[in-house]
Amino acid sequence: MTRESTHCFAADLGGTKLAAAMADAHGRIVAELTEPTDRRGGAHVAEQIAASALKLAHAVGIEAARVRHVMVGVPGAIDPLTGRVSLTPNIEGLQDFDVLDYLRGRFGPGVEIENDVNLAMLGEQTLGCASRCRNAAFLALGTGAGLGLLIDGKLFRGARGSAGEIADLPIGRDPTSQAAATSGAFELEVGSLAIVERYRRQGGAAAVTVRDIFRLAQEGDEVAAVVLDTTARWVALAVATLQSLLDLELIVFGGSIGVRPELYERVRLALPAHFSRPITIAPSRLGDRAGLIGAVCAAARALRQDREPAQHALHLT
Amino acid sequence: MPSQPMASVTRQLSRRSVFEALLHRSPISRADLAKVTGLSKQTTSEVIDAFEQQGLVRPIGRTSGNVGRTAVLYELSPDGGHVLGIDLGARLTVTLGDIAGRVLAETDEPTDSRGGAWALEQIARLADRLARDNHTHPSRIRSIVLATPGVVNPRSGAIEMAPNITGLGHLNVVGLLSEKLGSPVAIENDINLALLGEIWHGCAQNVANVAFLALGTGVGLGLYVNGQLVRGENGAAGEIGYLPIGGDPLQAEARLQGCLEYQVGAHGIVRRYREAGGGDVGSAREVFERAQSGDPRATDVIDETARLTGLAAATVIATVDPQLIVLGGSVGARADFADKVARVLLRLAPRPVEIRTSTLGKRAGVVGALSVALNKLHDELFSVADLAAALPLPPPRVQ
Repeated sequence: MTRESTHCFAADLGGTKLAAAMADAHGRIVAELTEPTDRRGGAHVAEQIAASALKLAHAVGIEAARVRHVMVGVPGAIDPLTGRVSLTPNIEGLQDFDVLDYLRGRFGPGVEIENDVNLAMLGEQTLGCASRCRNAAFLALGTGAGLGLLIDGKLFRGARGSAGEIADLPIGRDPTSQAAATSGAFELEVGSLAIVERYRRQGGAAAVTVRDIFRLAQEGDEVAAVVLDTTARWVALAVATLQSLLDLELIVFGGSIGVRPELYERVRLALPAHFSRPITIAPSRLGDRAGLIGAVCAAARALRQDREPAQHALHLT
Repeated sequence: MPSQPMASVTRQLSRRSVFEALLHRSPISRADLAKVTGLSKQTTSEVIDAFEQQGLVRPIGRTSGNVGRTAVLYELSPDGGHVLGIDLGARLTVTLGDIAGRVLAETDEPTDSRGGAWALEQIARLADRLARDNHTHPSRIRSIVLATPGVVNPRSGAIEMAPNITGLGHLNVVGLLSEKLGSPVAIENDINLALLGEIWHGCAQNVANVAFLALGTGVGLGLYVNGQLVRGENGAAGEIGYLPIGGDPLQAEARLQGCLEYQVGAHGIVRRYREAGGGDVGSAREVFERAQSGDPRATDVIDETARLTGLAAATVIATVDPQLIVLGGSVGARADFADKVARVLLRLAPRPVEIRTSTLGKRAGVVGALSVALNKLHDELFSVADLAAALPLPPPRVQ
């Protein structure tokens, strides 16, 4: 007889770090960990995810075999038919390795993978600032740019799982250029590399990271302020584009750059000039934990759904 | 009596499945109906008898060729109820259909240029004529759907953001038309309906994720996702005339008319041709004709229009990842134009998407309106709304 499953496992895989959590059926996190993503990528990353589940199970004192509901957020598009991941420039070899198949081999058929920004959207819908929304988006701005979409109350993934891959929006750099074909015209204009590069081009010297630029802007550095203004205008164009296509109630700003008030307040100020109807934007309430919390919510929901039919059958007999 | 609602729900479910089988498999015998629906022969016969009395079905012949008794074949009766699809644009098209989805008649004429109440009067006149010409009384029309440009305000019933038809913004179009036509009228955005038309009878049958990009007098987008239209929070999804593509979105005309529409709408095509020194033309079609006969300025204008349309399509691909993009509208449905857009997209979109041109052309909107009118009639007759009611509780018992 298989023992009842009491806990679920959730992970948020990023280009630099892996966040993982063990939670109960109510979605309460009982243990969690964060570690640097295995730089070797592919199979090593999949093994790292499985190992973190075992570590957390051990820490909580449950048998790993009783963890059968797993949700992993990955930074890429997931083909709805094959479960294969694509568009993951930040993790080596992830498209050549079948992560889902590997994890199902370890934990059984209850393993799911989902785009990380979709999970962040789900997290904000369940526990964050989009709790009453039926039509909303989570705009993640950081190293890259991504979008999680909620349409009529449900996550929206597109025909091939690549809805919300807005790095490719034809906004910013020349979308027909060779560079845009690999990184995406929009990401080339608003990704963290682009922001640092813009600062350097405009004569700023001291900044090495986007965080430096935010700090310099706060300290009154004019070049840093201009760089953030320009970035905010490009983001405002993207937001106007989303609103014109989808007529959303709320666009949540997340990611390491998106959550910064220095950025989203500038976007808010720029929006009326770019779009004639009002657009509501808000910073992510869950911050850099939005993806992990969304994964926990999804895994816990699956765990409850698995348990409820059994309870229901008891009532009938 | 507590058992009553359950019995009526069961009966309604039986009626619904027999009707569905008739809709898709007519002509069909009672025995085959029972087989297809999984209902007992007795239940099937009871439902058919009731349908015959209501005038929903009629016998149209007998099975033949087999040894033994022959069976009566039934089909949905064309008199079972009628529906009307209306497309109100630069032209007004009205289509009369029957309950089985057959198109009985269609008529169209230029929309009354005075707009507003005049256009509504014109709709009522055409609907009445169509009904009488087809020997049905207007009162037998039980469901009506109107396709219009713009967005219907769910609170006031007024049509907003439809700059190409004058005088609709302050009228309660739903209320006035329902009164004039004597049945409930539903209004839906014309591009959404054109999309549903292509899904029902056109080039997008059996596709789960479709975008319909319409380019004509105005520009707009319909999105169909997992079996449903995407309408957005205020019904304004797909108003891509306002996409910040093709110019400075902060400029006055772009803000008023929409940045993209200002460039690629029919007026934009004519204006850009004039600005390029091409001279005065009356319509976008003339610019296309001049391009075909070798006018380089006209060719440049068309190429630029295709480039901007390709950019709009690329934003759709990056954001919603459709399986298929249908190009429609008087400009969009031109095969030569669609080829240009497809070539632009090859260079723009890292994930290529199939492009087709609308096969229903200017009829797409009215066919979609008819399909929704039918859905509404079928729902009204066979929905199982009672099922949502609470279960009746047992009477109190003393322990």
